[in-house]
Amino acid sequence: MSSSGQTGFLFFFLDSVEYKERLIASVKKEVKQLMEEAVTRKFVHEESGSVTSLCAAVEACLSQGLRRRALGLFKTSSTTALLHKVAKHCPEAAYISRKVQDIENTDPNKRSSSSSDSTNKPPILKKNSSNSVTTVSGPPAQPTVKYLWIRLALYEKRLAKIIEHLVTNATRYYERDSLVADPDYGSILSSLLVGPCALDYSRAKTPDHYWTDPHADELVQRHRISSGNPTPPTCRRPILNFKRSLHTSSEEASTGSFKSSTSVTAKDYVESLHQNSRVTLLYGKNNILVLPKDVSEQMPGYLSIHQTAQSLTVKWTPNQLMNGYTECEVTDKSSYWAYALNINVDEIVYVHCHQIRGEDTGGTIIFVGQDGVQHPPILFPEGGHMAAFLSCLETGLLPHGQLDPPLWSTRGIGKIFPWPAKGRRRLLSSVLETNEDHPIDYVFRVVNKGNHADFLATHQIMETGRTSPRRTQLSSCSTNESSDCSSKSMSLDQSLPDTPQVGANQTASIALVCSTMRRQIISRAFYGWLAYCRHLSTVRTHLIGLVNGRITPEAGAEGGLTKERWESLNADGVVSDDKEVYRLVYYGGVEHEIRKEVWPYLLGHYSFGSTPEERHELDEAARHYYETTMGEWLAVEAIVRQRDKEKTAHAVAKLSSESGSGGDKTKGVDVDAEMENDVFEDNDFSDISDPVDYDVEKKEEVPAEEMKKPTRANKSSTDSGNVPDEDIKNNEDGQDDNDAEMNPEEIPKEKDNDAEMRNVSNQNAINGIELELKENCFGENDGVAAATTTGGKENVSNKSSPTTSSYETVGNEFIDTNDMNNGERLNNMKLPEFQSVDDIQMELTEYEDDAGATSAQGMDHDEQHLQQFTASSPRASVIVTKASIDVANFDKEEEEDEKTAVMSPVKEEANGNALDALQEPKSACVSPASSNGGVYSCQLLENFGLNLHRIEKDVQRCDRNYWYFANENLDKLRNVICTYIWEHLDIGYMQGMCDLVAPLLVIFDDESLSYSCFCHLMERMIQNFPSGSAMDMHFSNMRSLIQILDSELYDLMHAHGDYTHFYFCYRWFLLDFKRELVYADVFSTWEVIWAAKYTASSHFVLFLALALLETYRDIILSNSMDFTDVIKFFNEMAERHNTASVLKLARSLVLQLQTIIENK
Amino acid sequence: MAKTYDYLFKLLLIGDSGVGKTCILFRFSEDAFNTTFISTIGIDFKIRTIELDGKKIKLQIWDTAGQERFRTITTAYYRGAMGIMLVYDITQEKSFENIKNWIRNIEENASADVEKMLLGNKCELNDKRQVSRERGEQLAVEYGIKFMETSAKASINVEEAFLTLASDIKAKMEKRLEANNPPKGGHQLKAIEPTRKSDSWLSRCSLL
Repeated sequence: MSSSGQTGFLFFFLDSVEYKERLIASVKKEVKQLMEEAVTRKFVHEESGSVTSLCAAVEACLSQGLRRRALGLFKTSSTTALLHKVAKHCPEAAYISRKVQDIENTDPNKRSSSSSDSTNKPPILKKNSSNSVTTVSGPPAQPTVKYLWIRLALYEKRLAKIIEHLVTNATRYYERDSLVADPDYGSILSSLLVGPCALDYSRAKTPDHYWTDPHADELVQRHRISSGNPTPPTCRRPILNFKRSLHTSSEEASTGSFKSSTSVTAKDYVESLHQNSRVTLLYGKNNILVLPKDVSEQMPGYLSIHQTAQSLTVKWTPNQLMNGYTECEVTDKSSYWAYALNINVDEIVYVHCHQIRGEDTGGTIIFVGQDGVQHPPILFPEGGHMAAFLSCLETGLLPHGQLDPPLWSTRGIGKIFPWPAKGRRRLLSSVLETNEDHPIDYVFRVVNKGNHADFLATHQIMETGRTSPRRTQLSSCSTNESSDCSSKSMSLDQSLPDTPQVGANQTASIALVCSTMRRQIISRAFYGWLAYCRHLSTVRTHLIGLVNGRITPEAGAEGGLTKERWESLNADGVVSDDKEVYRLVYYGGVEHEIRKEVWPYLLGHYSFGSTPEERHELDEAARHYYETTMGEWLAVEAIVRQRDKEKTAHAVAKLSSESGSGGDKTKGVDVDAEMENDVFEDNDFSDISDPVDYDVEKKEEVPAEEMKKPTRANKSSTDSGNVPDEDIKNNEDGQDDNDAEMNPEEIPKEKDNDAEMRNVSNQNAINGIELELKENCFGENDGVAAATTTGGKENVSNKSSPTTSSYETVGNEFIDTNDMNNGERLNNMKLPEFQSVDDIQMELTEYEDDAGATSAQGMDHDEQHLQQFTASSPRASVIVTKASIDVANFDKEEEEDEKTAVMSPVKEEANGNALDALQEPKSACVSPASSNGGVYSCQLLENFGLNLHRIEKDVQRCDRNYWYFANENLDKLRNVICTYIWEHLDIGYMQGMCDLVAPLLVIFDDESLSYSCFCHLMERMIQNFPSGSAMDMHFSNMRSLIQILDSELYDLMHAHGDYTHFYFCYRWFLLDFKRELVYADVFSTWEVIWAAKYTASSHFVLFLALALLETYRDIILSNSMDFTDVIKFFNEMAERHNTASVLKLARSLVLQLQTIIENK
Repeated sequence: MAKTYDYLFKLLLIGDSGVGKTCILFRFSEDAFNTTFISTIGIDFKIRTIELDGKKIKLQIWDTAGQERFRTITTAYYRGAMGIMLVYDITQEKSFENIKNWIRNIEENASADVEKMLLGNKCELNDKRQVSRERGEQLAVEYGIKFMETSAKASINVEEAFLTLASDIKAKMEKRLEANNPPKGGHQLKAIEPTRKSDSWLSRCSLL
């Protein structure tokens, strides 16, 4: 270095600074990259590319200026050796070093790659020659184990420490001007790596994960590539798919084609030699000798005659091929394919037969083609095989062709044919002995009376059953062939003795045979046809209900219901042509702008033919009803909210106390919580009779049990708030039996009104509970004081909800009755209260008088008063109510009877208030609780509260991604559902209802209209929910449909067994595909479903489901997906479907089924 | 395609609606959190392959609808499940109280020796907590199952929970395999289906 010149040194210096700058910059860049990756996903995959590049950058930094010579690191340019050196001084390095060695010891491949950039192989590897070969070229192929030690150190989060050690001890390992030794760069490097060392590295998801469990998208993509046919092929499939034949046809397996084909097809060829559903085997004999061209020796082989619908084929296959395909000597056998014979009899003109004269000598047959070319001679062994062959050949030709001259008549003419030596035939042979020892040649001409196809065409019956019956017909021939042959020979033999008649007899027998065959053919064809018809009738009986019988024509409806069309249909404000509307919607959907107008018709909210006024009226009524109902449940909701708040506070308080006092108390609190529940359910009267005393005692006795107090107080508040009338009644029952006698007519009326009472009381309860809370705050007051406080508080609550105070007062009265001493005081306190409300002083006195008068009388007067008070302002009646109770109090001290008498008007009065406050007609109050007073109302509270929570949970997370629900519109959704549930508490909220309301709300943007339409929609949909039975029906219908419309898919499903559940369609049916499609598609799908009910099928969802399934059937089939795969596939495919094509396919499937059913 | 795993475990997530089952699953399978999940309708499952002691284990985790009304379809999956995660929400006491109902469901529908685990989700919401950690632990002890507090949002313990459940299943299975045929190790591709046991066996299990 000293020898270099000043400038040179400067250059070098600058160069090295720049180089270091670059190195650090690259590390920076990689760290940044890695950290970014870690932000989006919490941990980085170990095999991530950014890990590798970071390691590379670090390696480069560490290699720069390393004192290899001084450290004795000659062997490698990698820094792995450095690590091992450092390990002596740095515990982190020692740990990593040990790990690296462990890995290298277990896997030599990795060792090499750890020092991937080394040109010198490590000594260990040199010993292992087999590995060293791969290792030199190996590393690039294994990027994952590059920079092993840096990697490991990073994963173990020790890299920064090691680098730091290197930097602080840089002088020991590095040149002075190296990056690591540089005071700035060195510390920068180590601090840069602190970040990556804080990350988590995982190898949880390996890349092959994506291959073995591909995402649905990936599957679809793969399928598109492989099929090259992006559109689903389902449309062109025939309606009745019979199983596709697995065997290649014999025509295809010609000799020539096999010369070039592989032995895989050889197997198919050999299989084609056997009888199968397509090809009938007429004759088969092994060890028939053939002398192929260019071969000196005869070869044994398998001779066979095959009949298909189109042709008759004679095949001969060398034995080497017949049994060879399982053996391994493939190369040798391939030459034999050249010798195999495959002769189409249609192309044969002459059949030459050569036979040496004599008994059972066998014979030779040569086929001569139309072009005059001779096929290699076929040598039959002795024993009549040639005759058998010829007779089979003729049978094969028979219906429409024959051998000329006919085989059977030849002998009649006297020509010699060596039939098997049987007793009677010897006669014949002896007759013909004259020509002995001379070769006998005989030539048959093959006559075709027409093509098979023509033949089939002329016989109508063959055509009826399409492919399947035709095959049946053919197989019927085949099964009878052998017996036919034997029967022929039998009849022949029988006719032999009387020689003169042989000709005639044989003709007759042939005619007989032919007629038998024809009969059998026809019967087979008939059975095939019959089976087909039965199949169709099954289809009909099972599926006839699924589609409408009448096919609605599509013509002109493709455009759907456009604005113009709608306006023309809706010219005078009355839409009367419902058929046309349905038809247009079914085939083309509704234009988005007019959906708001059209949907109420489709859903049945508006009836076709209604006038604008009628519709307006309907809407008004619906709105009124909706608002009324909403008012009802909102009142209940308020209580539920309050209770929740308390519960939460309670739970939190419990938790904090728990954490203070430890585990022992936990149990006690649990019990308490359960008690709380019980209280709400039972609400027994005994508590009410002396609730405060009980409380007071508790409070006084056990101040430590402060925890329980809210519960108690809570309870009494709910009691007084929710079931005031019950309280009153209870009081009546308990204190005066006369009451029952007095009010026999009143009771039913009361019950009717109870519901209304409840509404009011609900509101009251809110206040009541608030009061109770406040009361709790007051702490250790005695019961009376607490009650007094309550009374005082009532003034406040009076203003917001006047009736409240009356019930609270009632609550307090009980205290009075139990605690007479304080009763006076309380009343005194109360009296100024109502008197302070001065404006109705008159009425009050009037009522007091009346109350006194009524006490002895019946109902009528009360009724009058009721009317009177209802007529007056609500405020006035409220005060009167309050007063009446107080009056009752006064009276009570004197006479109990009077009190009860007064109590009943109070109730009536409260009802009046309820009516006034809510402005509702009496009839509107049809809540299920109306029949059962206060106890029921608690159940109802519980029930509705439960539903409310469920609704809230689902509404909060319903489609927040969709623009419409990004804001307060979710509240509208909640309101609609709550209203529906309030009206259908017996059903209760079920998950999925939100999804059904949401699209309606998006379209209408109007709560009451959405509600009305939702009710109509639910008439059908509710059946799909767990409480209904439609889902199972859907599943079974799906099964039948798939079985009939896509048997191949059905077979796959059947093979996987579990498919019977069809749970992958569950969500489809439950939500009318709402979750499967994006919003725009949901709209267009839903309206088609609704319109389909009137145009094509009231079960259109089934066809939609089938269309979805069919769209991806090839993917399902080619991946042979089982039940779970299909579920995963469709869940992943949600909102990615091409809805237009699915709808189209669904409509065409309906049409197909309609056609089937209509035709028969 | 050759099978790339040594075992296939079927797991099931159950618990009240809204406790975060889908989010837990999403965190485990995709390592992400999505605030815009909607309620699960019907069933869904996700797959993730993990490695335990050098064995590749494919976890097929079924996610169910929380609402009890949909039990008819969710219980169909109980039987095949080898491990069940019971999830409650630490900010919803009711969901915790319902765990015993879910346990009853399991006892009625799942095989008796199914591995169970209790998860208290949403533990990042400590200020809204209604169920203390101790109560969760206590309940788990009561049923003799493991317990963890998790957070799908903050990615706390989700990974650990599944790994724990998987390794418990694996240990149990290998133990049974060894008992059945000692020489063969655990080289079975598919986990053997747990055998159905009688009810008496069941009650004994729950006493543990």
